This record gives sequence, structure tokens and C-alpha cells, in this order.
Amino acid sequence: MDLICLGVSHKTAPLSVRERLALSSQQQLELLTRIAGPESEALIVSTCNRVEFYLAGPASGVSRDTVLAEIAARGGDGTLSHLYEHRGEAALVHLFRVSSSLDSMVMGEAQILGQVKEAFEIAQQSGAVRGELIRICEAAFAAAKRVRTETAIGRAAISMASAAVELAIKIFGDLEGKTVLMVGAGEMAELSLRHLRAAGAANMVVTNRTFERADALARSVGATARPFEELSSLLVTADVVLCSVASPAPLLTKESLSMVLKARRHRPLFMVDLAVPRDIAPDVNELEGVYAYDTDDIQRVVADNSAVRSAEAAKAEVMIAEEIARFFRERALRDGIPVIARLRARAEQIAKAELERTFASLGDNLTEKQRQSIEAMAKAIINKLLHQPTTKLRETAPQQSDHRLAGAAAELFGLESEDPKR
Amino acid sequence: MPHVLLSIACHAYASAAIAYLAYLVRPWRLFPIAARFLVGSGLVLHAIALVTAFSGQGGMPQGILQGLSVLAFLLLSILLALEIRYRIPVMGALLTPIAVAILVPPLVIGGGTNSLPNAFPRPLLPLHISVALLGLAAFGVAAGVALMYLLMDRQMKGKHFGVLFSRLPSLRFLDELNRLLVVWGFVALSVTLITGAFFAGHGFFWAWDSKEIATVVAWGIFAALLTARFFAGWQGRRVAVLTMAGFCLLLISFFTSYNAEQYRGLFH
Repeated sequence: MDLICLGVSHKTAPLSVRERLALSSQQQLELLTRIAGPESEALIVSTCNRVEFYLAGPASGVSRDTVLAEIAARGGDGTLSHLYEHRGEAALVHLFRVSSSLDSMVMGEAQILGQVKEAFEIAQQSGAVRGELIRICEAAFAAAKRVRTETAIGRAAISMASAAVELAIKIFGDLEGKTVLMVGAGEMAELSLRHLRAAGAANMVVTNRTFERADALARSVGATARPFEELSSLLVTADVVLCSVASPAPLLTKESLSMVLKARRHRPLFMVDLAVPRDIAPDVNELEGVYAYDTDDIQRVVADNSAVRSAEAAKAEVMIAEEIARFFRERALRDGIPVIARLRARAEQIAKAELERTFASLGDNLTEKQRQSIEAMAKAIINKLLHQPTTKLRETAPQQSDHRLAGAAAELFGLESEDPKR
Repeated sequence: MPHVLLSIACHAYASAAIAYLAYLVRPWRLFPIAARFLVGSGLVLHAIALVTAFSGQGGMPQGILQGLSVLAFLLLSILLALEIRYRIPVMGALLTPIAVAILVPPLVIGGGTNSLPNAFPRPLLPLHISVALLGLAAFGVAAGVALMYLLMDRQMKGKHFGVLFSRLPSLRFLDELNRLLVVWGFVALSVTLITGAFFAGHGFFWAWDSKEIATVVAWGIFAALLTARFFAGWQGRRVAVLTMAGFCLLLISFFTSYNAEQYRGLFH
């Protein structure tokens, strides 16, 4: 199948690279019209943690060159080294996993499905997705929905956010009047902020290296955005600090925080590090009145969480494999059923002709009952004869993305000529 | 008669302690309710026993045994008030066993009255003793709250969440409660010091004995603690540690305020 996935994610590229490649809806629309053509379809998924291009159709190779040129132009020459590429089934599996949040920084977070759906809508608007890619996306959404409802993977992410809230409550009693500072705008950011808001945190501040990103997140959750340069003063006023900045070295160290603590006059500070690698140095937790948690610590709060999570993730992976198989099966049936139907129609046509000839030669010597028996016999012969090829065609279709067997059947039974398009 | 009442009260407290401890294992709402009822009933009987005993001795406790009995009574009264107001069964689980332990010597050794050795009229003595015991009880509860704070802080820092984690109240609540109790304890302690210095009725009195030194040092600790809390924003762990240190000094003061003959008298 002609599906190509090109992209960068939190796993392959630092934030600086992802930031340069990130595309606004408007930019996506503009780029989609350039990369999608009559012979190729395109989809662009652009979030804080990934920028991915999905290309389908016979001319996807041409689109791929355009995309590569665009990436090099936007991100500089070094960007291509962060790029990953999946083709065919691997690309399909990747899209399914991304939509199901199995590839997310925080596995199981619910936002990504919405983001992929949004990307799909934009691509639909611009007419960049039409046939195959629509079916692929719909199958990916169905898989994601199944993973979400049939595994507890989503609950793991939600429970992380609510565990953070629970811990904050164990420190502050309630979050009424408390100030929450979000440093960065990662995938967990919105979910965590919404949970904290629901728990009563009225005062929420978002800061990010890219101010626009902070502003967008702040607006979506009803927080205020502040420039990144104000971080130290923001840390003085905050009670809860969430960090999700992709940074190779810790952003907040014991030394930098002890300066802040003096100005805080011993007020307790609850810090949650959502980033991997960590933004908050582990020894920060040694400071008096500072409770610093990373994602692993938070997960430990939820009983047996890591075991549950890996079990749920394994379950989800199996589900993805099933959904991929289902997609291929449906795709093959969609293409394969005309062969089977035509095969049956052809056989019935022959039987009908032969029956008419037989009845004509026997004349009126047959009773109604005898006529029915002969008709039934003809039908039974067709059914028995076609049973094996039909089942075989249905069974093997999913494994053969090129439908070799269906093609062979069409050729053997001389069906080719009936439909010149095939 | 007072002894029988005290015995029943002590049994009620012990049952309450069991109910509170059971709550730690199984958080059934019935446990703390039963415990509160038991503590309340015990306190009523205990109060009758104390009033009966004191009516014949100038309206104040005499000797260390009665002192301990009053201390347990005040400790549990404060506990019950806080428990009803804020619903903190963990505090009950911590303090009722201690109160029972305090009450065992008066109960086992008997309610014998050890009269003060040189009993000349001291008008401020009943006030001095009751306020001192009230302050001690308040600081006792504060120390319990401080211990709970340290336990909770330890769990939050160490990220090992045991049975207590879900039962303990929030750090901020414990810190606030500590502040409240220390403020009231400090007021009582100040009154104790003043009445103690002047209770002889003829001017300032200071004898440099260990009781006085321990009390004044404890007063100094709590004065510094409250100053740091209100003016430098001190709170949390360091306040909890200092509260416990100050309470230990007050305990020394309490036990040394009864002279050696009284202790010897207990066992003869």
C-alpha cells in the first residue's frame, strides 16, 4: 500500500526542532494544497510533541520530496537527521498508535486523538484527504476509541492528573486561592490544568519559551500567559508548579530554587515534573517545604500503576494489531467482494441457462415437484463448488494487500473481461 | 467512689483508643463515632471524679498522681473538641493511648492525696496549677499534631505512601492547628510563669531550680517560635520539630515540679 509517514516527535527531536516545524492550522491548509495532488492525498498532524506528514496514493513519492524540501527549508539542514519515516503497513501502525496515545509522551493522554481528528478535518477542508486516507483515518479513530474504552490506559493518564491533584490537596488542604504555574505546554499540560481548575485552583499561570504556545494553552484553559523571562518571580508566587519543558538539562536546580525559597518565606511548594528527561533536578526534593515529584513518582501514587499501565499498554498493542488486521480485511473485502459476487453471478447465469435448456428438452413431462428438485440440485452444485473458493478468497484477502488470489480467481473463471476497469 | 468512676472512665478511654486504632486499619465511619462517644462519656465520669476529689482539698489537684489525672482529662477534652470540630480520627489514635498511659499510674497506685509539704496559704496556687496543666495539655496536643506533621512530611518527601497517608489531614491543616494550639499553650504558659513567680503572694520569686529553668527555656523556645512564625513566615517541619522540643522541656518541668519525697511516697 502506498502510505508514507514522515515526521519528528518528542522521541527523535528536541523541542527547538519541533518548534521550528510546528504548523498552525492556516499553515497546514496552505501546505496541504501544495503537497496533495490528484494522485496523492496528505494529512499533517502538528502538536507540541510531534509534527507528522502522512502521504497516500500512487504519487505519494512526489509529495514526499515536496515535504522533505519543506522540512529542510523550515528547520534547517540538520532537521532531516531527526526525521523518521515509515512506509506501508508500518506507517499505518504508526498512525494507529499515535491516535491511540501509545506513542505519546504521557501514554494514554486523551488530547492526541482530538488533535489528529482536528488535523483530519483541516485536511478534509482543503480536499487533501479523499479516498484511501479517509478510510485509514476513520479506522485509526475507531482503533483509538476501542483502546480508550476497552483498556484502562486512558484512566492511567487521568489518574496521573488526579493523583497530582490529590497530592496537592494533601499539602494545601484545598486549592482555593492557590496559584498554579505551568512551565511549558506539553501534552499533559492541559489535562493537568483542567484537573487543578476543577479542584478549585483559581489562579493559573502558563509560561513557555515560545510565548504564543503559552498563550494558546492559557486561553484554552482560562489561565494567564506570562513571558518565560519572568520564571523566577513566577516561582515566588506559585504554590503548585508543573513542568513540561523538553530540556536536556534540568531547568530548575537545587541552587536556583533555594534562591527562590528565601523570597517565598517558607511557604510549601509542590512541584510536578511531567517532562522526560526531567526539568526539575531530583535533589530539589531535599529542600525544606518543597515536594518535587516526577512522572514516575506520581504514577507510584496510583496503586500498582506501573504494572497496570504496562499490562494495559500490552493490551492496547494487541488491539492495534487486531484493528490493523481488520482494516486490511475490510479493504480486501471491499476490493475482493466484486470478484466473489461476479463469480457467483457467473455461475448462476450458467446454471440458469443449463436449466432452461434441460427443461426445454424434457418438455411438459415434468411435474412441478420434479422441476423444483432439479432447480435445487443445480443450486446445490453451484454452492458446493463455489464454497471453497469463496471462503478461501475471504480468508486470504487480509493477508494479501495486493489481492493476488482474488485476481487469480477472476482470471480462472474468466471474469476479467466483464469489467474492463479492473 | 472517685476511684471507681476514674476506673470506668479509663476503660472508656481505652475502648476509644482501640476504636480509633481500628479506624486506621479499616476506615469505617462507625469507629470514630463510637470513639468520640466513649471519650465524651469517659470525660463526664472523669470530671465527676476530679470534682469529688478536689472538693475536699481546696479545689485543686494535689500531688503528681492527681496532676497526671487532670492532665489526661485536659488532653482528652482538647482532643474531643478538635475531633468534633475537625474530624481527625488519626489524632485520636495517637493521643487516646497516651492519655490512657498517663491515667494508669493514678489508677493503679490509687487516688491517695499527697498533701503539699509546706502548705501555707498561696492564693494564686489553684490558678497556677490548673493553667499550667491546661498549657501542658495544649502543648501535648500540639506536639501530637507536630508528630503527625512530621509523619506526613516524611511520606510526602519519601513518596512512600503507607496506611497513614490517606488518613492524615493535609500539611497545611496540621500546621494551622499547631499554630492555634501553640498560641493558646503559650498564653497559658505565660500565665503559669507569672502566677508561679508571684504565687507566694509576697513579690517576685525565683529559686533557680530545674523546674523553673526548664519552663523558662521552653517559654523562650515558644516565644521565638511564634515570633519566627509571625514575622519570618516560619512554618512546617522546623516549627513541628521545635514544638516537640519545647514540649519535652515542659514535661521535664512538670515532673520536676513535684519534689523527690512525693515520688518516693508513691512507692511506699
